[in-house]
Amino acid sequence: MKFKDYFSRPKVNSGAFQVWSRNFLYFKKTWLVSLFWIVLEPVIYLGAIGFGLGAFVNNMGGMSYIEFFFPALLSTTAMMVAFFEGTYGNYTKLTHQKTYATIMLTRVGPEEIVAGELLWAASKGFFGVLGVTVVALFFGLIDSYRIILALPILFLLSALFSCIGMIFTSFARNYDSFIYSTSGLIVPMSLLSGTYFPLEQLPVGLRYIAYLSPLTHAVSAVREILHKGPTLWVLIHVLILLLATWVCMNISFFRIRKKLLK
Amino acid sequence: MSTNVAIEIKDLTKKYDDKVAVDGISLEIYKGECFGLLGPNGAGKSTTMKMMYCSALVTSGELYVLGLNVKKNYREIKSRIGVVPQEDGLDPDFTVLENLLVYASFHKIPKSEAELRAQALLRLMKLEEYQDRSVETLSGGMKRRLAIARGLINSPEVIFLDEPTTGLDPQARIWIWDFFKHLKSEKSTLILTTHYMEEAEQMCDRVAIIDNGRILTVGKPRDLIRDLIGKEVVEFDTNPVDLNYYLGRLRAEGFAYQVIKDTVSVLVKENQEGRRVVDLIASDKIYIRKPTLNDVFLKLAGHQLRDE
Repeated sequence: MKFKDYFSRPKVNSGAFQVWSRNFLYFKKTWLVSLFWIVLEPVIYLGAIGFGLGAFVNNMGGMSYIEFFFPALLSTTAMMVAFFEGTYGNYTKLTHQKTYATIMLTRVGPEEIVAGELLWAASKGFFGVLGVTVVALFFGLIDSYRIILALPILFLLSALFSCIGMIFTSFARNYDSFIYSTSGLIVPMSLLSGTYFPLEQLPVGLRYIAYLSPLTHAVSAVREILHKGPTLWVLIHVLILLLATWVCMNISFFRIRKKLLK
Repeated sequence: MSTNVAIEIKDLTKKYDDKVAVDGISLEIYKGECFGLLGPNGAGKSTTMKMMYCSALVTSGELYVLGLNVKKNYREIKSRIGVVPQEDGLDPDFTVLENLLVYASFHKIPKSEAELRAQALLRLMKLEEYQDRSVETLSGGMKRRLAIARGLINSPEVIFLDEPTTGLDPQARIWIWDFFKHLKSEKSTLILTTHYMEEAEQMCDRVAIIDNGRILTVGKPRDLIRDLIGKEVVEFDTNPVDLNYYLGRLRAEGFAYQVIKDTVSVLVKENQEGRRVVDLIASDKIYIRKPTLNDVFLKLAGHQLRDE
C-alpha cells in the first residue's frame, strides 16, 4: 500500500447497498432483542456511574457529573457497538459463514462488500446511540436541540471504529485474536479518553497519548456541542475524526480486498 | 473466436506464493456441453474452475468466458454464470427462501421477479415445503439442492458445479445427477469437477483429466477408454510370489496391465481376447469387466494416496 493510497477514494457502486440491506434484513428479524442488549449495558453504566457514583461528585467545572459523563456514554456506545460488529460480526462472515465468498459469486465485488459492511457496522453503532438517546430522554438528560448536532459526530465515530474493527478482522487468526484489541485498545481507550474524569487528571505524558485516542476527540466534541454549541474546537475535533476515518477506511479496503481476491 | 465456445483458456497458470496450482493449461469448452474436470485432490481442478468463475485471480495466461476477459469483464461474466461452490456457503442467518432472495438482490434482480424465480426454483428442487425453515435445519442433500437453486436464480448461461455430489448419500446423489440430466436436456452448459468416475462417464460429453496442475488428457469418455484402456479389463488377485511369473506371461503375450498391490488389471485391446488372459492365469479370483473412466484415471494419475 503506497502512501497516497491511504487517502484515495475507493471505487464503489450500488452493490454496497445490497450488502448493507442483507445485514439490515437480519437485524429487522431480531431488532427488539438485539437493541435491548445493545442499550442495556450503557444504561447500566448510566445508572451505576452517572447517577450512583456521580452523586458523590459535586462540581465538574461548571456541570454536574451526569452532564459530564453522558457525552462519554454516547461516544463509548458508538465505539463499542461498531467495533464489535466490525470484529466478531465481520470475522464470522469472512471465515465461518463464508458470506463474503458467496457474495463474490455474484456481480457484487470486494469493494462493495467492504463498503456495505463498514456502513452497516457504523449504522449499528448509530442505532445504539439512538437507543441510549431515547433512554436519556426519559431520564430528562436531554434538554437541548443540540443533541441533533451531536448525532452526526457520533455516526462518524461509529464509522471510524467500524473501519478499525475491519482492520483487526483482516489480521485476526481466530476469535481469540480480538481479546488483544479489546483489552489492549478498546477498554483502555474507553477509560482514559476524558470519559469518566477530565483529561487534566492524567499525568502529563499520558495526557498527550490520550489525544491520540479518537475517542478523546469524539467525547470532547460531543461534550462541547451539548454544553456550549458548535465552536471552533468542535470543528477541529471533527476534522481529526474525519481524517482518521478516511485513512482507516482505505486500509480496510486494501486489507480485505487482498483477503477476498487471491 | 467462434460463437459456440463458452470457455477459452490459453496457457493459464495460477501460483499461490511459490506453489504452482495450475501450470499452463489450454482448453476450450463448448456451449451446450457438459464438461468434467477430473483429478485427484490438489490436482488444480477446483482452482482452474475458480478462475473461470472469477473467484481466483489469474497469475498468467488468457481466460475468456462467453467471449469476455475474466481480467476485465468479471462483473458481466458473473451476472451471466451460475456457481455452486464446494462449500454450499448458505447463509445461516436466513431461511431457505430468504437465502434465494438475498442472493437475487446481489444479482440486482427486481424483488417481484426474484420472488417468482425463487418459488419456481424451490418447486423444481423439491424444497417448497421447507421455504421458511432455517438452513441450519436442512439435511446435506437439501442444502446442496438449495445451493443449486441459488446458482440458477439468475438464469445463467454457464453453470459451474464444484464437487456437486461429494458427501451426499446415494439417494441424494442420484436425484442431483438426474436433475443435471434435465439441465443438460435444456441445452445448458455445465462445467463440473468430481471424484465419481462412473457418474462423469455417464454425464459428461467430454472430460479433462488433470494432475499436478496440468491437463493429462481431454476427450469423450468413451474415446478415452477405448484409446487408453481397450475393450475390456481382466482383473485378478494374486500373491507377491506368483506376481512376477504372471506378469512375465502377460508380457510375452503382448498384454498391457496395471498393478495395484496384489490386484492386476489387464487392459485388453481391440485386437486381443480377454479369454486368453483367463487361460494364462491360474487364479480363481479372476473376472472380465467393461473398462471404465476409473481405469483411465488410475492409468494417468497413478494410484498413490493423495494428501491435500
